[in-house]
Order: sequence, then structure tokens, then C-alpha cells
Amino acid sequence: MTVIDGSAASGLNLAEYWQYRTLFIFLTTRDIKLRYRQTWRGVAWALVQPLLPMLIFAAIFARVLRPELPYGPYWLYVLAGLAPWNFFANAVNYASLTFVGNFNLLNKVYFPRAVLPFAAVSACLIDILVSGSVLIGVSWWQGYPPSWRLFLIPLVMLAGYAAAIAVGLAAASLTVLYRDLKPLISFLVQVWMYATPVLYPLTMIPGRWRWLAWLNPMTGVVEAFRHCLFGAAVDWIGAALSLLAIALVGIAAVLVYGRLEADLAERV
Amino acid sequence: MKSISIQKVSKEFALSAGPGGKPARRLMALEDVSFDAEPGDVIGIIGRNGAGKSTLLKIISRILRPTRGRIELNGRVGSLLEVGTGFHPDLTGRENIFLNAAILGMHQSEILKKLDAIIDFAGFEDHLDEPVKHYSSGMYMRLAFAVAAHVEPEILLIDEVLAVGDADFQRKCIERIEQVGEQGQTVLFVSHSIHTVLRLCRRAVLLEKGRVVACGTARDVAALYLESGARDGAESRYRDRAEAPGDGVARLRAVRVRSAEGETLATLDIGSPFGVEMEFEVLTPGMVLFPSIVIHNEWGPICFSTDVDTAWHGKPRPVGHYRAVAWFPGNFLSAGKFTATASVHSFSPHMAHFNEPEAVRFQVLETAGGSRGNFTGYIDGSIRPWLHWDVEHGPLTNW
Repeated sequence: MTVIDGSAASGLNLAEYWQYRTLFIFLTTRDIKLRYRQTWRGVAWALVQPLLPMLIFAAIFARVLRPELPYGPYWLYVLAGLAPWNFFANAVNYASLTFVGNFNLLNKVYFPRAVLPFAAVSACLIDILVSGSVLIGVSWWQGYPPSWRLFLIPLVMLAGYAAAIAVGLAAASLTVLYRDLKPLISFLVQVWMYATPVLYPLTMIPGRWRWLAWLNPMTGVVEAFRHCLFGAAVDWIGAALSLLAIALVGIAAVLVYGRLEADLAERV
Repeated sequence: MKSISIQKVSKEFALSAGPGGKPARRLMALEDVSFDAEPGDVIGIIGRNGAGKSTLLKIISRILRPTRGRIELNGRVGSLLEVGTGFHPDLTGRENIFLNAAILGMHQSEILKKLDAIIDFAGFEDHLDEPVKHYSSGMYMRLAFAVAAHVEPEILLIDEVLAVGDADFQRKCIERIEQVGEQGQTVLFVSHSIHTVLRLCRRAVLLEKGRVVACGTARDVAALYLESGARDGAESRYRDRAEAPGDGVARLRAVRVRSAEGETLATLDIGSPFGVEMEFEVLTPGMVLFPSIVIHNEWGPICFSTDVDTAWHGKPRPVGHYRAVAWFPGNFLSAGKFTATASVHSFSPHMAHFNEPEAVRFQVLETAGGSRGNFTGYIDGSIRPWLHWDVEHGPLTNW
């Protein structure tokens, strides 16, 4: 028996999400299909998107910053950071629009609402699959042969996936509550990239502030991703801090979303 | 065991605050709504626009949250508040079947099991692998409805889906709802069409301004509803010359739909004769004037016009007040909603002195014993005259 009670609070009802797994799968495959309807275009997009900024960053930042890299060349270092970062950025940007952009769906059918941002983030995983595979080849060519660490990449990306889901769900909910946020999200994500060691090594941050950098959920993901590719050392305590940050953001996202869920159709 | 139990449900909307930080207005969309449904019930929910019908369905389907009150539902709830929700133009028909079915709450195994039936129902297998953006709107509707018709929850909520689509689509939809009720599922059905509610539902709930004002057999509730709105739209009166349509030659005073006895009616029985009455003033003497009544059906097209005022045809009219009634026989208009346009013209040169579209609106209702007989399907056309047929019968002969 289902009971609808006006005064009851709602939350993430996991059993219900399991019931709607078919919808989740179909929404995810829909997004992938639409993007990869013409295969070459989808693949090209997944590759060009990190390549263009890489070229710009490599040309400018390498000269201006003169970073001391633990492993190089700089363009490969940037590329290895951009692959997981672009997944995260695309996923968050895309997920943030899933509530405000689906008024009709939300207003005409019931389903557990968070399925929309979940599916949006999941569909973006295909990009990291494409760009990651190419990156492994390029790294090999540059003198970093594949090692057992490559098998850790799925685990690292699982953390990246969790981070994207947490931030994406929060962004989708907050854009409903604060409409002005909608055009700001992509800008904020861009700023976030500069706060993440994508273009520069973590060693450029003074030692006593480094823990703060690790509290950025994506720092751990990007650093660990490079570790898997190049075999360089990772600060595991720092990585644990990043995981903790992901968990905290996740809890915050569920709380914000839970406050909104039952009234979503009215607010969108 | 009850399949739906609605207990004192209220819904308040906060209308967005006006400019300058004025406090938001509140709107009570539903107030203390209570009723129950047993398995197999097909309940019609009727009421005027803004009575809260759609809000109620949205609350039961959990799209909106009630402000107060409690609802108990036994069984899976499926809602068809719109046909084709979530269709994506770039996906093929087949892909959209899967996605739409999943949106409506079906599992993959269920969809695969019903896929053939859905495709069969839609009736165009050869276009299924084309993107739906290349479909005609008819094909689009058929595909969308084919999916919707195969959702089989224990509780089905349907809102006005019959208002769209062609006659064939409406008939299929009605047949499907009849089947669903017979299978022991519970159906709540919102409709503007009293005919459809009377055909499909044994019980009905009448909402007025968010409150339940009647709940009982569909026939009683429908009668109450029609009575309460009996004069709505059936009369247009113009209180003063300044606002009345017209010019220096003729001016409209009033238009009304009336019975033979002179009573103003917005709802007419299909078998009863009725008149459309026009009151107008002629202000310039000696002109030949043609009053005209044009009947439109509810989608707007003209059904026919009548402009031969037999008493004054071709005769110049003196100044004065005229009351002209065009009489329509019983069993002439089909069941449905109509509007009438009232105008007065003169010719050579042609001039319309006033032309008032939708001056009155009325509804022709069908009752047992009309030309329909026991036939329950959709009858096409705005006019359904009861004609005299001559039929001869004899033994079989050689060709």
C-alpha cells in the first residue's frame, strides 16, 4: 500500500529507485544514443573537447607557469588531467539542467525525480571511456607502458562518478531553488577547474595549504588518475581527504534534494 | 479492500509574488476532498475549468504533494495525464516505445512481452525504425497511445487524453478504458465530456472550486452538473447602446438559446427542438436587412448558416425592436458543443452591421432512445438529421 501524506517528509527512497531501474537504463542509453548516433561524431567530440584546451594550455601555461612536473611532457600531463575533469565538468553541467529543462516530464508523470540527473551523469561515462582509451595509447607512445595500475582506473572513475552525481544532483536541485544559478553553473565549474590540479602540479601549492586542495573532491580523482597512467607517487592521506569530501558533498546533495523532491513539479 | 482512499486532501498553491515584493497570493486548489474507490470502479471526475480536477489527479499520482490530508493507494498507480510524454523527436519509433513505456513505469521484461501488441495496436510496423520527427501527428498520437494503452497498473488515472486526436483515436481510447474497468482495475477519469463520463463511468464525483459538491451515480452527478451550468453561455445581453455591437443601421440587444417554451438553456436534449433568438434594433428605416445565425462546432468550423428570415425576406424594415428566432428541429444537430454567431447584413453594397462570433454557446446531449440506439461508438459529423427513409421489401429476384 502506498500512503501519500501531506505532512510527511521525503528522502531518497532506494527501493523505489530500484523499481525504476528500467527508466534509468533507458534514459542513459537515450543520451548516449543521441550523442553517438553518428559514431565518428561522438568519438571526435570526446577527443576534440579535451584536445583543444590542452593545446591552448600547453602553448601558454607551460611558458608562463613553468611548472616543475613530476612527469612530462606538460601537454600529456594536462591531457591526463583533462580526461577525468572533462567527464566531471560535462556531467555536472548536463545534470544541472535536468530538472529545470524537463518541466513537462516532471509535471505530467511521476517517477523518482533524481533518476534524471543520475542518468545524465551516467551517460557522460562514455566520454571517459573513449578519451581514457586514447590516453592510454598516447602515454605508451610517450614512454609510459601500461601497467597493472590501469586496472585501478575504473575504481578511480567510480569515485569521480560519485563526485559528479553528488555535485550534479546538488546543482540540479539548487538551480530549481535559485533560478539565477542556471547560467552560473558552467562558469562556476570552469573556476573549479582552476582550483583543481589539472593544469598545474599539486606541488605548486604551498605545503601548509595543500590539505585544503585535497578537500576538493576532484583533486583526489585527477591525481589518482595520473597515478594509474604514469605510476607517480600519490599522497594517499590526501586522496582519503578527497573521498571524505565526496561523501560530505553527497550527503549535502541528498539533503537539498530531499527538501525539494515532493514539490519539484510545482517549483520547476 | 478499497483501492483508493482519499481522506480530507487539500492543496494550496502559492502564486508567485508580484513585482515590488508583494506577498504571494495563495490559491486553494482543493479543499477537504474525500472519496473512496473499490477495485473495478470507473469513476468520472467532472467540474468546470479550474475546479481542481487535474490537481487531484496529479496529487494521487504523486506529481504534486498535498498540503494536507492523506491518500491510501492499493496497487501500482499509472497516470496518463498526457499522451506521448517524454517522446524524443530524434529517436526512432521503436526507441520511443521503450523509453515512453519506462517513463510510464513499465519494466524491461514487461515491455518486451507487450512490444508486439503495442506495435500491432499502432498499426504501422514499416516506419518504426524512423525518427519520430518524420511522423505525421496522427502517427505520433497512435504510437503514443499504443504505449499508454498497454500500461496495466491496478489504478489508472486518465486526464483529458480524449480531448486530442481524431475520432478513431478517441474510440480506441474509450474501448480501452471500458476493458480496463472490466478487468478489475480502478480508473479515475477526468473529462469535460459528459457523454464520455456517462458512457464509461457508473460513479462520478463533481468538483466545484476545489470541493466535492456531489458524489454518486454518474447519471445523478451529471444531471446536477448540467443543471448548475444550465444557463452558462446560453445568453448574451447588452445592457447599453455603447457596448452593444452594431452601427447606425442595426444594433444587437441580445442573443439566447431557448426552448419552445421560452426558457433559456445551455444544454439541450438531442431530440428536442430549440431556437436561437436574436433581439436587435433597427435604427434606419427602409432598409432590406438579413439577420443571420451561423452555427460552429466546438473545433471552430462552420457547420451551416441560416439567414432567411421568412417573415421579412426582401422587405424593407421600419425602425423598431425585432425579435427573430431561428428554429432548429429535434434530432438535427449531433451531440456535442456548438457556438452561434449572430449578425445582420444588408446587400448592394454588402455590409455587416454587426457580426458577433460565439455570441452564445450550447451543448447538445444525447439520451437513450435517440438515433444512436444501442450503438456506443463515435458518430462522426456535426449534424445528425433524423431523416425519413423509404424502404421497400420483397422476395429475392434475379439480377
